[in-house]
Amino acid sequence: MFKNLIADSAAKSPWVYHINTGSCNGCDIELVAAITPRFDAERFGVKLAGTPRHADIVVVTGPVTAQSKERLIRTLEQVPEPRVIVAMGTCPNSCNVFKNSYSVCGPLENFCHVDVSIAGCSPKPEAVLAGIVQATEILKQKRKEMAK
Amino acid sequence: MEILFAVLRILFFPGLLFVAVGGLLLSGIDRKVLARMQRRVGPPIVQPFYDFFKLMGKETIIPHHANRTVYMWAPIVGMVSLAVTMLFIPICGFSAFSGTADLLVVLYLLTIPAVCLIVGGSASGSPFAGVGISREMVAMMSYELPLVLVLLSVAKQVGSLSLQDIAAYQAANGCILFHWSMIPAAIAMLLVIPAEAGCHPFDVAEAETEICEGPLVEYSGAPLGVFKLNHAMKLFVLTALFCALFLGGITSGIAPVDVLIIFALCAVVMIVCVTLLHGICARLRVEQVFKFYWTVVTGLALVSLILVWFGL
Repeated sequence: MFKNLIADSAAKSPWVYHINTGSCNGCDIELVAAITPRFDAERFGVKLAGTPRHADIVVVTGPVTAQSKERLIRTLEQVPEPRVIVAMGTCPNSCNVFKNSYSVCGPLENFCHVDVSIAGCSPKPEAVLAGIVQATEILKQKRKEMAK
Repeated sequence: MEILFAVLRILFFPGLLFVAVGGLLLSGIDRKVLARMQRRVGPPIVQPFYDFFKLMGKETIIPHHANRTVYMWAPIVGMVSLAVTMLFIPICGFSAFSGTADLLVVLYLLTIPAVCLIVGGSASGSPFAGVGISREMVAMMSYELPLVLVLLSVAKQVGSLSLQDIAAYQAANGCILFHWSMIPAAIAMLLVIPAEAGCHPFDVAEAETEICEGPLVEYSGAPLGVFKLNHAMKLFVLTALFCALFLGGITSGIAPVDVLIIFALCAVVMIVCVTLLHGICARLRVEQVFKFYWTVVTGLALVSLILVWFGL
């Protein structure tokens, strides 16, 4: 009984942690815009967590730069299971216009498993919310597998 | 048989389960009303239950520098002390335990959750937690003085330190809130509730945009869930204390209806003092909180105490 309750709850209370790995700040602004009262992400239970220890969903923005690589890996290690990693914008998926730059070691797939990727430069708030809702389903699946 | 009843009371009715469920519902109402104030749909009222059960199912990470025993036990001690506090607070004239000086016991028990937050934060060994606990101490110092003055003025008005006597006095003479000399004390108590529960304009210790939720920064999984539960329980215990002190004597004679009335009163008190302030205020700085409580709120409480002292 509790297993199902916890799995359902995991899908209904995703706490988002946001990490910027060298983004141009456009996606960061769009993510913050998506949790404002106008788009009301809190109706899905979304809360912005201040520390990776409280997070369920990690939103990564930006191509992974050489400086941020170490920090990204260390931050992701600190997020308790079950966790879902969302790549937001084109940069973490393909490095966008920063591809082949001397300071970029991305894309994000080189360092961790990406569960959901949201396309766009930068994605619309509706797309961000759709991505987060998709991530909650994966979160529920992961919790069910963890309980087995 | 007596022991069995005592255990049932501690675990279920005015004890642990009742406070936990009531507190989580109250904090759900808080989030919903806040959302409606901002003209959005907001989370469902049962959202805090989802948060709690989700955190129960998360992995618990214990940092390398943490003191394991203290780190794990701090939230539990806080939860137990809040449940015990509720046993002393009369709900429509009924409380599980009563004594000659309940008010003093409640005053001491109410400081334990804050101390647990400080102890747990310092056991986690994080610099953010260090900043958070120093701020929590300042917040504690600032709201304890007006709280004591408010309790003293109510006790002076009734002539007893027992919560049972306060309930009986109000059943005979009407609510203390409607006694004009006690109105400043009631306002002071309404302002003490958000600081004591760590709610928004006065949440200097857990400033999540500044110091990443301060003492809770290293907590994850089940202990974090219990700390979140403590926060919700504190809301319920404090609003119930307000109802017992200022809005007693409202009864219908039927026990389940009385409980619902008290819960509705708690919700109204919480919406007035927590949700409204959260909706319209930005967070104060530490020294602003300290100054505000030691001047305005303490002043209000003192006015009541002096008026009551002269028998007005």
